[in-house]
Amino acid sequence: MALINKEFFRTATAIAGLALGVGLVSPAAAASPDGVALIRERCLSCHTEQAGADAKFSRISGQRKSPEGWQMTLNRMQHHRGLQLSADEKRVLIKHLADRQGLAPEEAAPWRYLLEQDVNRVESLDPAYTQMCARCHSGARFALQRRSEEEWRLLIHFHMGQHPTLELHAMSRDRPWMQLALNETAPQLAKDFPLVSEAWQNWQKAAKPDLGGSWRVIGYVPGKGEFDARMKATPAAADHFAVTLDGRYLDGSPMRGEGTATVYTGYEWRAALTVDGVRMRQVLAASADGQSMAGRQFGRDARSVGGELRAVRESDTANVIAVLPAHLRSGARATLTVIGSRLDGELSLGEGVRIVEVVSRSPERIVVLAEAAGAPGLRDVKVGAAAGPGLLAVYDRIARIEVSPADALARIGGTEGDPAAQMEKVPVVFRAVGYAAGPDGKPGTEDDLRLGHVPVQWAIEPANEAAEKEKDHLFAGAIDAHGVFTPGDAAPNPKRHMSANNVGMLKVVATADDGAGAAVRADANLLVAVPDFVRRVLD
Amino acid sequence: MPFKILQTSTGAAVRAVAGALLAASAVAAAAAPVTQEYLLTVTRPGQLHVIDMASHAILRSCDIPGKFGSGSIAPSPDGRVAYVLSNLWEDVYGIDITDCKVVFSARQSKDNIRVKTFQSVTVSADGKELYTVQNPVRLLPDRFEVMEPRLAVYSTSGGLDAPLLKSFPVSRRITKIAATQTGEVILGGADVTAIDPRTGATRVVTALANWDRGPQWLTPDAFAMHSQGEQAAEYIMPYVTARFTDETQNMETAEWWWGMSRVDLKTGKAEQREIVPFEFIVFNFITDPTNPDILFGSFNQLSKHDLRNQKTLAVEPMPHTYYNLNITSDGRKIFVGGAANDISIHDAETLKKIGSIELPGDMSTSDLRVARRLKD
Repeated sequence: MALINKEFFRTATAIAGLALGVGLVSPAAAASPDGVALIRERCLSCHTEQAGADAKFSRISGQRKSPEGWQMTLNRMQHHRGLQLSADEKRVLIKHLADRQGLAPEEAAPWRYLLEQDVNRVESLDPAYTQMCARCHSGARFALQRRSEEEWRLLIHFHMGQHPTLELHAMSRDRPWMQLALNETAPQLAKDFPLVSEAWQNWQKAAKPDLGGSWRVIGYVPGKGEFDARMKATPAAADHFAVTLDGRYLDGSPMRGEGTATVYTGYEWRAALTVDGVRMRQVLAASADGQSMAGRQFGRDARSVGGELRAVRESDTANVIAVLPAHLRSGARATLTVIGSRLDGELSLGEGVRIVEVVSRSPERIVVLAEAAGAPGLRDVKVGAAAGPGLLAVYDRIARIEVSPADALARIGGTEGDPAAQMEKVPVVFRAVGYAAGPDGKPGTEDDLRLGHVPVQWAIEPANEAAEKEKDHLFAGAIDAHGVFTPGDAAPNPKRHMSANNVGMLKVVATADDGAGAAVRADANLLVAVPDFVRRVLD
Repeated sequence: MPFKILQTSTGAAVRAVAGALLAASAVAAAAAPVTQEYLLTVTRPGQLHVIDMASHAILRSCDIPGKFGSGSIAPSPDGRVAYVLSNLWEDVYGIDITDCKVVFSARQSKDNIRVKTFQSVTVSADGKELYTVQNPVRLLPDRFEVMEPRLAVYSTSGGLDAPLLKSFPVSRRITKIAATQTGEVILGGADVTAIDPRTGATRVVTALANWDRGPQWLTPDAFAMHSQGEQAAEYIMPYVTARFTDETQNMETAEWWWGMSRVDLKTGKAEQREIVPFEFIVFNFITDPTNPDILFGSFNQLSKHDLRNQKTLAVEPMPHTYYNLNITSDGRKIFVGGAANDISIHDAETLKKIGSIELPGDMSTSDLRVARRLKD
């Protein structure tokens, strides 16, 4: 299983300049020849058009992939194979290919974390894939592609041609890697990730939702906290939108953002926004009915710095979307914010939860001081006729917490304002989720009651004896009160044994107050590694 | 420590640390008045350095054509020419170490066939032929076609742009080769094999990936990407394995071992054996030319091992990683290098540092080879 991570690179190649969704297609490009004409014009000095009525091209037509997958292909063609393409033409081509040779929603669903750049996770893959493929890159990278068997085979030839030493690595040199890859892995890939699929055929036929309009969104910005906002998507051209965000963080401070969005393959929402002065990206998937979108919003540069984003279409009827925080201790008072749209009716927080005071109220958010009583469990939140089932957890005490991500990789990098430093640091954002023990009174069992994110105190410790001896916790970086770990500076450090870099093996420790005066602890594994000198669209 | 400024062939001033070893080198010189030993290594961006192993002076720094390769070096048996893998592992250049002249070149990539060689360069015992293992890929307009590897045979008298004389198919994953005095070429990859470069016939010298030692031994992880061993006329392919307590192959209770296939280049015969328990990473091993039971290893430490008793005799911590090492033929001085830009010189008896040589660039993955020839 591969622990994967993402990184960023200030002097990134043209990739950074053409992040998906940036800018609308200029009128000239929108009116320019379609994708097929562009392929004929720019690609056929190497590729060949195959005989037949529909336009089919060698290599190109044997593959389907995500918009980012096609972007990587075009990046490689530009940087390594001499493809000449303007930024506008590239956008047209990515959209053309992702729309016609993309992935059905259910094909992409298990692997969306990579598209969302949420990569601090241990993947679960067939061990054959882990050893043959995912020891160098994520499993999601190939699982987000569909190819014919011949194309999977050619991909293996490409790997060996492009990276000739790959069969000398550990987990290659102990086996006839090339033969295994061609004779076993390629057929398995063609079976598991086939070019022709029912899912894709159905999605091609399906009506695609119009994602323009007004959305209520809930998200999280590290360092600032949870927010809710209204997101308006105004159509600018087919599948292209102007986007505004207007909302508030949970502490009441305002948030504003604006930018553009493009929809690929009928459901892949990619937005580029400037939110309170920070350039951010949204990678969301729309539901088939076009009523909701879900994914992640993250920094354009610091892709690891971001959080979940959920969008619910606003309609004529009231809708209760969330309560923040999503938990209230029995016998205690706390401020809760109910988030939704058209919240006009009477508010109920469920059995035994008394509203002491309505602090403020608007159709989008109701802030109340509430007091809970009664047995622990999930409560339905209602506003008039609208109900949010199980949105609020009433609990007795926090029995355990989980730190997310449980396994993470940070990368040391250049210091701020240091022109000699090529690589940005790759931070990690940690959060903690609380659980009550549930009816059986035992934490860690199936009936545990999930309380949502809970406030904790953060600390780092050496992960083991070796890390303690090398004092990794003093060199490898620091974690702030918001759970953001910032790694140390790059380059050999003369203060360390063998002038080591500021790498380290750490434990990230979260400590929560259980609500009854005791401390609850949990930790996560954090590896602080050297810079990765390549910024990939998908790792 | 006194510094000596030397003028290199390229005009660059290179500092060499002579230092406290003058007395010792004088003794060594007196003991071997006829021949001299030269340490050869390559630094980025592309220079071959010729170092006097007695005085530690850099005598010459020769420009290598092409972009940096891997720094793989094969000295000719007469010690006159160093064959260097260059240009992103594609070309071999033969450089006369007495005057830096390029006397040989083999450009392996041709037309739409791109050839990479992973380290594997060696010269026949009679000095007449140069061997490489080629890993060819056909670059078609819209695809790669990976081809089978082959042993390539060139004549060392082929001059510049020497033609390929012949080639024979070999296995994939070969990283280190050496010519025996019996006319074979040892090929180290998954197993250690030998090929007869006249006929292409191959034989297994030591089965490693395909060894048959039963379930009590873990299939070894064998890998080497540096060549040395000229001082003991040996070829070492090191490996790591585990000995299990029973057939359940429990990694927790397994004993971990360093082992090697050591080929005697005089006879082509090999011994495969465990060396010492695995306690730290060793990137390369060499045998003491005066005692086949003593091995030295380098990486984050310089180490000395007793094969007969399977014991580590001494460990000298190093200030940074050194991939590689070599030794004087009298077995007295060890030169530890690779990775960074300094060669660390150690007493073979105690492993204590007795000197160093500063180079103008990083050695990276380069070899440290010894050429023995009549004194300049």
